[in-house]
Amino acid sequence: MIASAGLDMADERRLLDSPCNDIDETPEEHMPIEIPKDKWPGNIRSITIGATSAEGGTRAKAVTVGGGTTMPYLQFEAPTTNKPVIAIEIKSRKPDDWSPLLAEVWGEAMNDPAQWAKKAQEAGADLIVLALTVEDSVEDAVKVVKSVLSATGLPLIVWGPGQMEKDNELLVPISEAAKGEKLVLGICEDKNYRTIVATAMANGHLVQARAPMDVNLSKQLNILISDMGMPKDRILMDPTTGALGYGIEYGYSVMERLRLAALQGDAMTQFPMIVTPGFEAWKTKESKVGEGVPEAWGDWITRAIHWETITALSLVESGADIIVLRHPESVNRIKEAVEELITA
Amino acid sequence: MQHTISFTHNNKQASVKIPTGALLSDAAHLAGIDIGQPCGGQGRCGRCAVQVMEGTVRRRSTLRLSPEDVEQGYALACQTVVEGDVAIYVPPQEKIERRLTTDRVVAEVTVPEEYEYLQDQTVRRIHLELTPPSMDDQTDDWARLQTAFRLQHRFENVTCSLNLLQKMGKILREGDWNVTAVVDVKNVIESYETDRPIRLLDLQPGMVDEYSPLWGTAIDIGTTTVTLWLVDMVNGQVKAQVAEYNGQIARGEDVISRIIYASKNGGGQDLRQRVLDSINSLLETACKRVNAKAENVVKATISGNSTMMHLLLGIPAENIRLSPFITAVNHPPILTARDIGLNTNPEASVDCLPGVASYVGADITAGVLSSGVNVMDEVTLFLDVGTNGETVLGNRDWLVTCACSAGPAFEGAGVVNGMRATQGAIEEVWINSDTLEPTYRVIGGGKPKGICGSGLIALLSEAFLTGILDKAGNVNLMAGSSRVREGAHGGEYVVAWGVESESGEDIVLSRVDVDNLLRAKAAIYAGFTVLAETVGISLEGVSKVLVGGSFGKYINVEKAVQIGLLPDMDWSRFEFLGNTSVKGAYYALLDWRKREQVTEIAKRMTYIELSADNSFYEAFTSALFLPHTDLSKFPSVVEALTSKVEDQTSE
Repeated sequence: MIASAGLDMADERRLLDSPCNDIDETPEEHMPIEIPKDKWPGNIRSITIGATSAEGGTRAKAVTVGGGTTMPYLQFEAPTTNKPVIAIEIKSRKPDDWSPLLAEVWGEAMNDPAQWAKKAQEAGADLIVLALTVEDSVEDAVKVVKSVLSATGLPLIVWGPGQMEKDNELLVPISEAAKGEKLVLGICEDKNYRTIVATAMANGHLVQARAPMDVNLSKQLNILISDMGMPKDRILMDPTTGALGYGIEYGYSVMERLRLAALQGDAMTQFPMIVTPGFEAWKTKESKVGEGVPEAWGDWITRAIHWETITALSLVESGADIIVLRHPESVNRIKEAVEELITA
Repeated sequence: MQHTISFTHNNKQASVKIPTGALLSDAAHLAGIDIGQPCGGQGRCGRCAVQVMEGTVRRRSTLRLSPEDVEQGYALACQTVVEGDVAIYVPPQEKIERRLTTDRVVAEVTVPEEYEYLQDQTVRRIHLELTPPSMDDQTDDWARLQTAFRLQHRFENVTCSLNLLQKMGKILREGDWNVTAVVDVKNVIESYETDRPIRLLDLQPGMVDEYSPLWGTAIDIGTTTVTLWLVDMVNGQVKAQVAEYNGQIARGEDVISRIIYASKNGGGQDLRQRVLDSINSLLETACKRVNAKAENVVKATISGNSTMMHLLLGIPAENIRLSPFITAVNHPPILTARDIGLNTNPEASVDCLPGVASYVGADITAGVLSSGVNVMDEVTLFLDVGTNGETVLGNRDWLVTCACSAGPAFEGAGVVNGMRATQGAIEEVWINSDTLEPTYRVIGGGKPKGICGSGLIALLSEAFLTGILDKAGNVNLMAGSSRVREGAHGGEYVVAWGVESESGEDIVLSRVDVDNLLRAKAAIYAGFTVLAETVGISLEGVSKVLVGGSFGKYINVEKAVQIGLLPDMDWSRFEFLGNTSVKGAYYALLDWRKREQVTEIAKRMTYIELSADNSFYEAFTSALFLPHTDLSKFPSVVEALTSKVEDQTSE
């Protein structure tokens, strides 16, 4: 306090030396402190996923995300517009590379995507992510999407298996078969976005645009997709997630910068963000492996859920709008944490 | 209603009748006059400009024409509608090209006005008459020559190589004690002291004509291209200009891979020999062209980046690559051709110009000299679009510089059908946005062999504007033309079918080429933007942008802006200087004061290390897009893209 008050050295010494200086340090009342508020020229777009029958789809309700006008959870600047939502990831056929802990919790339902989706809804999911596999034929894929759509009324996100040609092969017929449902189709990357975007445009769906943890690359992909004529209220931005201990700080910082750019008015970063902590956290050795690890790592199931939860919560705090999780317990914890953030 | 259109073209008259609303280009076609329409009649290239001498027309667009042009009656034939009888003058194509505001042609090199051989040149040819020996005068040949130097030219301290000593007796007698000596008098000129040592470079019998050529050479060793100028140092004229790819390319495309190769067993010797072979073969070609002999070349001034200089001199270069990045030598002493291995006269003085640091070499100090950034009143940006994208910003008071690795794409290397800007290179391309059919111009006019830097810039820009490429450079296979197809390395665009090309094979722009070009342009753009930011100067405050590089004899600045290589500013601020490094070496070869300026420039430049923080990387990734991730930096490109969209919707 002294050094910053514009006093010279002599003043400083005098103040320090005098046992009782004559500045009155006991104000009777507290000065009211005004917290400075940032005014931002831009905001995150509000984007709606899923269409009810009134809007030409069959969903029980639609989910709206985004709309933020400040950095995340600065309630004193503005209340959170739409709180982040949870999607639970299910697969079109039972995965053989998932952690046994996940197999345990989902049980038999993993054999039937429709059952799995129902259980996910019971577990608190706001949306379902259905991930297709390379083994799926076009027929299988369309069938499984239809069965999941009829099993729950939640809005649906569909991911291709992650191979360019296979993604395009499966997503186009799915897009046509589910015309009007306002699905999210993904995952678009800069080398493969045209086909997915074109079919999403033609059939009224949204797209998920993933760029590898870089503000510029995210922005570039959003520009490419918009250039094709995709309406800006049908793009979700996926900044790429790194799990705790596997690059989360990069992801966090990129998301923070994307949010800042959006608030500063950069139209090409104003899309809600979807993150995939479930997918990433359950890939790590810490979550996947229960035996032959140091004892200090502690109880496996506790650790694995912590891993997913901490990864997810960090991303929530850096502005994620859709959190894709795998374990029901993580869903509970994140929902609780979000409530706290909003009411704090 | 029919109108009469009369044309004057090549001193010939022709007239046709055509209805209201027809285009002048249609009328010309009807009259059998070939008006070039490289852009396909879309009013984009300006090449079809004609002059309306009588009558009135309606101009749908005057893009590319200045208000003065329009005042003088110029109109774009493809955009001008006939509404009455008119008389049209069709000017020769060259005249039109000169008028275009977009094109920058490299200025022909001229001898500096003030050049005075006897004052500025450090190498002199002097005539000596020796007293013949006799039984009474038993002085040895060498002392006799030294005496003549002292008495006739006041040079008191002449030194001479063993090689010349061995030949001396014969030459003196052959000329009957009348000889012409070539000496390097640098020491004396610089100090005005006649007892400083001067070196004897050559001795010829008899009296050689004072005005016959005294050969010197200016050489630029680029990472990708070696350029050599052969100069008559008596009148200062450049008599031959030749260039070829650096033979070291076979051992790595960039300086880092060369350094690594050089540090391996025998690698350094291999690289040294390769660049020497390139230089010596260029020297031979140049000499042949003007009927000179390489052994009569008595001075060489060499410019090039620090790594190239080290490799030429056979000096280990690995410390250039390793932190803290220290060169063995920034400013080599004057050496002889024999030491280095040049096939000139073995005694020739070889002057390797001084560099600043590991990544700012003599190519840049020479470039600054020839571009004149160091004497500018206003802040000037100098870009060397080479394998190492080097940038200098400053004026007469201050100079900052940085370097970044851009790769050789703009010199035509590392591109499937790339080539140097020589005979057979496609140097200009236009693509019709409706049909996606290209129109191109080939250097020398024959069949195309490949595409040079300026052609690649134009091609990239056209492919982008016509939607063949998206902003990330992805080839849009749904573009709707057989020229856009899946190639061996992803999507590609066929510029010339095999039947049109020299080799019989298709000439294409591939996805990999696009990536290389994007990286090159992004590195250069990021380099100068970060440099400007570092010193707190906005690009708007830069009065001139001087562009150097070996990508052709001209650059279309509009195209270079459209791909985001050059900043989007008023085109009048751009100047294209061609190879500034060899030009700087040429000035330093001629004039010892200019040579001293290079040393001065090297001392004055402040080097900014771009890898010191991540701002360069940020700038690089945001520039890795067409034209740039931040479109607000390129308003003219936004306009071009929107007008294109409007065109499509209006049809």
